[in-house]
Amino acid sequence: MYARDQLLIRCIGFVGVFMLIAGCSTEPRAPVAPQHPDFSGVWLGATRTSWSSTRAKAGTEPDIPYTVWALERMKGQVPGTAGVPDADFENTTDPSLKYADPLGFPRQYQHPLKFKIVQTDDYIYQMWEWNKVWRQIALNKPHSDDLEITWYGESVGKWEGDTLVVDSVGFKDSTWLDGVAHPHSEQLSVIERIRRLDPETLQIDFTFEDPIAYTRPWTAQHKFKLVADGKMTETVTTISDELLYRERYLNKKPPMPIRR
Amino acid sequence: MNRRTFCIALTGAALSLSATVLAHHGRATIFDMTKETTVKGTITEFLWSNPHVQVGIDAVDAKGTHRHWFLEMSSTSIMTTKGWSRKSLKVGDTITVVFHAGLRGAFTGDLLKVIFADGKQLTT
Repeated sequence: MYARDQLLIRCIGFVGVFMLIAGCSTEPRAPVAPQHPDFSGVWLGATRTSWSSTRAKAGTEPDIPYTVWALERMKGQVPGTAGVPDADFENTTDPSLKYADPLGFPRQYQHPLKFKIVQTDDYIYQMWEWNKVWRQIALNKPHSDDLEITWYGESVGKWEGDTLVVDSVGFKDSTWLDGVAHPHSEQLSVIERIRRLDPETLQIDFTFEDPIAYTRPWTAQHKFKLVADGKMTETVTTISDELLYRERYLNKKPPMPIRR
Repeated sequence: MNRRTFCIALTGAALSLSATVLAHHGRATIFDMTKETTVKGTITEFLWSNPHVQVGIDAVDAKGTHRHWFLEMSSTSIMTTKGWSRKSLKVGDTITVVFHAGLRGAFTGDLLKVIFADGKQLTT
């Protein structure tokens, strides 16, 4: 056997022994990133006007544990959105219709427009067609020490198996939880457990906790379907658009110049 | 799927659809939802806008009086999913419209259907 061949055989043997030792090493290997479900896509839920699972009149639903504060706050409120019995658009006190306020959270989920989920390792983003509203969920991070009070709150999330658990706090108390005027205070906390039931369906289980408005936590569930073509459009309503609409359909003179 | 399950699913789908169409506001206090009105006229404007897509129609009623109607649909996003676009209607075209007319004699309406001169239809 030539010396060159002997050298080659020794090299191969050395590499083999080295790989065997490395394979048996007790040293910890580099951690493998956990594989999480992919929620990416465009989703659309059916319209709903209340988080109650019953059709009982708002304020009397057996599944909602109102405090006296909440019931007082609901007095005199006039819903204006479709699907609510006795909705009165002309005289509504719904802040999203009366003042063109943002729907806020979690009511945003009830609007019948699509939202897109963009998923990264650090953040999950939800982007709604309606007025280009967006929300971010910081993953594996604590809430801020100095929490801001905002329309859509502050959301942090973590994975529990196939479920994304999102904890949101810091909401302005002027928004309604839904279209039937369910109130909340700035102490509202919303827990979402989000999972993909099947390739076409996203399910969110909500737990609402607010010691000012409700005597104990209560729950709701909403499902969303994947939109096949994934198209997102722009659906922006301006003050001018709204006032023009009211002038034509409610005969209300605009209190300010509007675009015509 | 048995017959009962099918009926429940169908009803649920119909409720969901109608709720989607009526997204921005309740309409029962604005329009007469119990009656359908049909008018033939000329398109004066087509606003591809939010919160509602709108169409203006010039028409002459049975007594020969000129009337101008404002008819509303849903939002641009929802109308897109129903096959509408900003090019669906053209100013100057003659169409027939079916709608829930405004209460208290207002010349407004909640548009249900457009019938074109060639018989083609677009529903809301």
